[in-house]
Amino acid sequence: MQLLRRLMPRKGLHSTKFFAWALIAPAAAYMCLIVAWPLVETIRLSFTNSGLGIEDYVGFANYEKLLSSRKFPDTIGRTFYWMFLSVGLKLILGLIGASLLAANLKGKAAFRVLVMPPWIVPIAIGCIGWLWLYNGHFGILSGVLQNLGIIDGPFEFLAYKNSAFYSAIVTDVWIGTPMITIFLLAAIQNVPRDLYEAAYIDGASRWYRFRRITMPQIMPMFASMALLSAIWTFNSFEIIWILTEGGPRGGTTTLIVDTYKTAIANYKYGQGATRAVLIVAILAVFSLLYLWLVNKVNKKYGDEK
Amino acid sequence: MATVALQNISKSFDDTQVLNNINLSIEDREFIVFVGPSGCGKTTLLRIIAGLEEASEGQIIIDGEDVSSAHPVDRGISMVFQSYALYPHLSVFENIAFPLRVAKVPEAELNQRVEHAANILQLTNRLQHKPGQLSGGQRQRVAIGRSIVRNPKVFLFDEPLSNLDAALRGDMRVELASLHQDLNATMIYVTHDQVEAMTMADKIVVINGGNVEQFGTPMELYHHPETQFVAGFIGQPNMNFISSTRTASTATNCSIKADGIGALTLPVSSCVGKEGDSLCLGIRPEDLSLTSSGQGFEMQVKVLERLGGSAIAYGTINSQVSGEQSFKAVLPGDVQVSPGQHIHLQVNPDKCHLFTSQGDAMHRLKAEV
Repeated sequence: MQLLRRLMPRKGLHSTKFFAWALIAPAAAYMCLIVAWPLVETIRLSFTNSGLGIEDYVGFANYEKLLSSRKFPDTIGRTFYWMFLSVGLKLILGLIGASLLAANLKGKAAFRVLVMPPWIVPIAIGCIGWLWLYNGHFGILSGVLQNLGIIDGPFEFLAYKNSAFYSAIVTDVWIGTPMITIFLLAAIQNVPRDLYEAAYIDGASRWYRFRRITMPQIMPMFASMALLSAIWTFNSFEIIWILTEGGPRGGTTTLIVDTYKTAIANYKYGQGATRAVLIVAILAVFSLLYLWLVNKVNKKYGDEK
Repeated sequence: MATVALQNISKSFDDTQVLNNINLSIEDREFIVFVGPSGCGKTTLLRIIAGLEEASEGQIIIDGEDVSSAHPVDRGISMVFQSYALYPHLSVFENIAFPLRVAKVPEAELNQRVEHAANILQLTNRLQHKPGQLSGGQRQRVAIGRSIVRNPKVFLFDEPLSNLDAALRGDMRVELASLHQDLNATMIYVTHDQVEAMTMADKIVVINGGNVEQFGTPMELYHHPETQFVAGFIGQPNMNFISSTRTASTATNCSIKADGIGALTLPVSSCVGKEGDSLCLGIRPEDLSLTSSGQGFEMQVKVLERLGGSAIAYGTINSQVSGEQSFKAVLPGDVQVSPGQHIHLQVNPDKCHLFTSQGDAMHRLKAEV
């Protein structure tokens, strides 16, 4: 009580300010410890040749090496292709799924629960399941394709650059779609029923109602899910690592996988940190774009002033 | 423009019967109000006419054409919802234009029709705003605008004023009534507020428990309620009901002994039955007048609501059955009465209503209308 009274704003503006700072200090300290310090440390590391037992300042050497490397443009391109393809599929499938689940049919609760397993099952377990599916010799996909006569012999999905990449996309979409579906479903269910009834009375078809009522109404949620999903997919590591470890011959190596391979697998902490800084920069640009976009979407479709 | 006929409409949800065999015939250009307590089925009946619900049985006939299974657009109706159901992401212009866009009306004609509607409803300088920026009354007008651009044959309103404050509701009542005169259209209006029903309707349909209790003009309902329910529902403040017993009757009158009031002889017909039958006397609070002590009957005032021009006294009268019975009376605005005081009241038997124990009214022979 004594302490509080001393801290309370009695002496005007100056102590009010002090009190405000005192209130946010614990949270600020916590943020510094778990966010700011590691970030600063990563940036510092990116200017060193830090590895096992050594750490000397090397200036921009890591950045020069990374940007002049032959593989790096491929990795960046692959990462963005991976992100756009996967997020696009997740959003489309999520929207279709949510619209179907919102329909008033018998046993809809059961369908809603059945959508969730890919999301609920631990990612590692799910990925091991997919490893089996993709296996050329005892995997069911290869087996079914052979029985149907589409392929002649066993096909090892994860053994070729392209097929491995698209297989990883399929798994990533499988894991990422349910959450988007559930969130979009929630948004769709929040649309007042009256709006649909009013449009129905005015003669609007199902598709017209979807286009001019559902889509605009769920747009803020859709934009948010698009960005969150983009960030997660950009940084999606464990799925690729479990399926292919970035192979074959770098065919599934995205920026995050490259960072891990450099820093952790090859003990080149400095060079790994350089990649991490790059990821932070790209995601920061993303977040700015997102804030701008969400603001615009809310202005256009929100019901506020 | 349009007549509407409902023939043997019944509706049940699963096992619950919400509408029983409704028959109504609505004339062209009439303003019809469905009124009843909540849950009586009035909104369901409106939604059946709109085509949002399907009747379990019966036909809806608009302009002589059976539209029971037709799409709302083909029925030629439009509807204003209780919540207004405005599209929050669209401007006022686009909200009003929505039905025309659906119908792919050419741009020039669309502009002209929206502006015409906006003119009628004084929304011209609001067309570019979003619904969220409008006041309650303006939103209400946008919803009405959306229903008039389509030039429907029949307008349906589902409790459109219930979200407005009391003052605005009064204004909108007048606006809707004048809109009805301007548009010259058939309108069906649902409300639970008997004041709205009385003030706006050409004819009122009183619905209770899924049945039509009575269908008639406001004055018919006020002066000749067919049932005790209608008598209690129509009129503000509502009617006093006093348990009574028959003492004698002729072809043109009925003598009763009313609990706490005394002997009265009412000019009613069809008062058949025997002495000692229990009846129910109905007295409107506004038909009572003050009298000097020693005359009439006594009422103890508990609460007095002063409205300025008149005052409503709430209190009790003595009852042989239950000790005391609650009672209301409308008194002159400047009456010198305070709560707790006893007053003496008298009533003209010509103005009283009489109901059988089943709740059916006896026909009043000396009513004003």
